[in-house]
This record gives sequence, structure tokens and C-alpha cells, in this order.
Amino acid sequence: VTVRPRIPVEGLGADAGFRGGVLRLEPELCEAFLSYYGTLWSRGVLDHTAKEIARIRNARLVDCGY
Amino acid sequence: MTDAWLPGFEADDSLAAAVARALPQLAQRRQRLDARAWSNASVPATLLELARLRMAQLLGAARGRPGGELELRTAAVAAGLDADKAAHVSSWPTDPRFTEAERAGLGLAEQFLIDAKGVRDEDVAAVRDALGDRGAVAFTVALALLEGELRAAAMLGLVTKQAT
Repeated sequence: VTVRPRIPVEGLGADAGFRGGVLRLEPELCEAFLSYYGTLWSRGVLDHTAKEIARIRNARLVDCGY
Repeated sequence: MTDAWLPGFEADDSLAAAVARALPQLAQRRQRLDARAWSNASVPATLLELARLRMAQLLGAARGRPGGELELRTAAVAAGLDADKAAHVSSWPTDPRFTEAERAGLGLAEQFLIDAKGVRDEDVAAVRDALGDRGAVAFTVALALLEGELRAAAMLGLVTKQAT
């Protein structure tokens, strides 16, 4: 396990996260990812609370601090 | 598990087709994301197809239906992957057919799927050496897309076909 970014991005620290960090190296991919992710999160028949519960539970299961 | 679990889904549906019917806007954006990931200049599409095949094997995602793995292999070959490599992907650690870049990618794909926290610095370094930093980022995103797609298809009793 590492807490150091394995792909350094100039000017960004370790707490820049995924979307604000390394994904910036691939701007077109980043934009497509955020568009998809935003739709997944903000639309659909499943309410936001249920999505958050699933996200937090999954994060705990894999010991992810996100 | 060969029957689809959700109403309106057929057992021979692909996940993409099922999502397109149920959630067209989401499907469209996913298709765009897949297209970006699969047309990335830094990452050969053949490497992504190798990763898809190997991850499907490890998850048993193609075994839920007769000929499932053959379907995946056929789609991978149609995307440009050498048929011999497609047939022997499980032996990548020792098989001389596979290049160093393919070994680096498949090694990371396996570890990512089995235990992402067990990925070592040298696993990522090997992929950075092979694909560059931008390629390593794009490849990691593609692995995440593949894992989600394969797990969802397996869970819902749907077919995983080439996404792009």
C-alpha cells in the first residue's frame, strides 16, 4: 500500500485526488469520465442517498479513504 | 446463471444493449467514455482487449453462458488482437508470445482486479515505462471500466461484448 502518488503530476500534491490529479494528464478522457460519472450520480431512478450508502460501504470494504 | 435477472433483459443481451434500453443517456455517455479510452494514442487497443479477456477469465464472467469466452475472444480478435494471444492469454507470465509491455499491462490488470491495494510500485513503474505517464493513467481508467462492466454483466446474467 502506498500513500504517495505513483504517477506524479507537476504542481499537484498527494491530496489532489484522482479526478483533480492524475486524470488531468488525459483531459479528453477526464471530461468523458466526469460526464459519465455525473450522469450516473445525478440521474436515474435510484435516489442519491442510496448511491451514497453504496459508495461509502464499498469504500470501507476496500479500505478506500475517498 | 444463464438467465437475465432483470425484467425486459434477455439472456443474450449485452450489458451495453440492456443499459441503452433502460438508461439511454447514461449509455450514450458510457459509449463516449469507452471510445475515448479505447482510442487513446498511448494505449494499444490490443492491450485493452488482452486485459478484458484476462479479467473476464479471473471473474468467470464469460463462463455463465455456453461459448461466452469464445465470444469475448472473437470480439478481441475483431478489434485487432492476434488470435494466438487471445487463446493463450492465461499463460502470459511465461508465454514468449507476449511482449514486455503486454506483460506489464496484464500483471497490473490481474493485481488491480484481485487486490488493488496489493499493487506494488514496480507494477505501476513497469506500465509507466511501457506506456508513459499519460498511457498509465488511461490504462488504469480502462481497467476500472472493464472491472465494473465485467462484474455488472456477470451479476445480471448478461453478455459482455466488446464495448467499442
